[in-house]
Amino acid sequence: MINEKTMELLISSFPKILEFGLKVTLPLAVIAFILSTVLAVLVATVQFAEVPVLKQICRFYIWVIRGTPLLVQLMVAFYGLPLIGIHANPFVMAVIVFTINEGAYSAETMRAAMEAVPAGQLEAGYCVGMNFMQIMWHIILPQSFRTAFPSLFNALISMVKDTSLASSITVVEMFTRTKQIAGQSYNYLPLYIEVAIVYLLFCTVLTFVQKRGEKILGSYGVRK
Amino acid sequence: MKLLEIRNLHKKFDSTEVLKGVDLTVEKGDVVSILGPSGSGKTTLLRCINFLEKADEGDLVFGEKTYHLPKTSRDDISSIRKRTGFVFQNYNLFANKTVLHNVTLGLTSARHIHAKAAEEKALEVLRKVGMADFAGQYPSQLSGGQQQRVAIARALATDPDIIFFDEPTSALDPELTAEVLEVMRELAHEGMTMIVVTHEISFAKEVSSKVVFMAEGKVVEEGHGADFFENPKEDRTKEFLRLTKN
Ligand SMILES: Nc1ncnc2c1ncn2[C@@H]1O[C@H](COP(=O)(O)OP(=O)(O)O)[C@@H](O)[C@H]1O
Ligand SMILES: [Mg+2]
Repeated sequence: MINEKTMELLISSFPKILEFGLKVTLPLAVIAFILSTVLAVLVATVQFAEVPVLKQICRFYIWVIRGTPLLVQLMVAFYGLPLIGIHANPFVMAVIVFTINEGAYSAETMRAAMEAVPAGQLEAGYCVGMNFMQIMWHIILPQSFRTAFPSLFNALISMVKDTSLASSITVVEMFTRTKQIAGQSYNYLPLYIEVAIVYLLFCTVLTFVQKRGEKILGSYGVRK
Repeated sequence: MKLLEIRNLHKKFDSTEVLKGVDLTVEKGDVVSILGPSGSGKTTLLRCINFLEKADEGDLVFGEKTYHLPKTSRDDISSIRKRTGFVFQNYNLFANKTVLHNVTLGLTSARHIHAKAAEEKALEVLRKVGMADFAGQYPSQLSGGQQQRVAIARALATDPDIIFFDEPTSALDPELTAEVLEVMRELAHEGMTMIVVTHEISFAKEVSSKVVFMAEGKVVEEGHGADFFENPKEDRTKEFLRLTKN
């Protein structure tokens, strides 16, 4: 079924596909994921602390982002940002959009995790004289991060696959590169299966990293 | 010397009044036991004194100053909390911190004391409650009695003027209760000022300089130590003592 020519094509294209995976797809997902986690912690903290006005702004942000497709957000940024004087290259723009998009979802994950920390933890913190931010930093954030970690990591794995949408704003990532190679050879299916396997490989590695991460974060002696 | 006084404390949850004008005076070195049936407002009283609940009415005299409870500023609340300790019924140890760090956190984070000095102080108070050997463990690895002793060490570490105990042994088995009461007994003998909400009548009899009996959001009767138990005046008190005698 796989003739010699197809085999040759698969072998010669593999490094090219992998290169764009390692140079574009993974960095895009990982950088956006890290930034989105920082954003999510801020947005979740504002809500957890019930900061007036800011809290409403955060709710609005989450409402808009979760209620519109990522693809539309990418397009709006691509055509809209230059209008307000922001001329970023498409990769940077994609990082920004993925960060803002993922930030909204992760903020909800983090908020739920913060609310799941028993109230007594906060009260005990007050009683030893800590202020809200100190308790956040030492008690609430570490505990809620531990709770949220698997969900956050799931989001990262989703994002690795969603990066192909960045092609819509001219970012040449792994899938677009595969499409180009396929277009030159008129041999689509084998190459798409090949790129699927590379995505699968990335996600398998990330799942492994997640397992290790959960071990490292530990469960404070609960399972020993 | 008067250390703390509560005057006319009122607290409502929604429309039900849980505290209906409570007055309480605590002298330095006092061990005040608060008794009373479940739901009488004992926990709420302690929580209002430490601002975990906001009182609707009342004043707090603490040290030299008088604070109007519903309108105490954030800074005043913080400075009052830094001079008090609180021991909860369910311990509330920081789940993500080791025993040692449970005790040092109030020193390093809240008071900016150097880590080394904080650790020394923590080990000193942990030794006192017999938990120094468990410094590296997490709360989930300890028994309830051990957790409560760590919680007492955590409260002690910051050298508070007074420690509030809210039924510190009511979640514990009898033998674990004994080890916690032993630590509290020692503190009482050392002159630590404490307010203890408890159901342990014999403990209250033994260590209290003052006993307060509450019912339905009011102080029904108060008396001095053993005298309170021998000559209760109010019918409600007599009935409560009769029912709790076993
Ligand atoms: N956060 C709260 N919201 C509503 N009602 C409360 C709350 N905390 C306590 N109560 C009510 O206040 C009353 C006194 O409670 P509490 O102070 O816990 O009593 P005690 O400690 O003496 O058992 C009870 O009827 C209880 O149901
Ligand atoms: Mg209670």
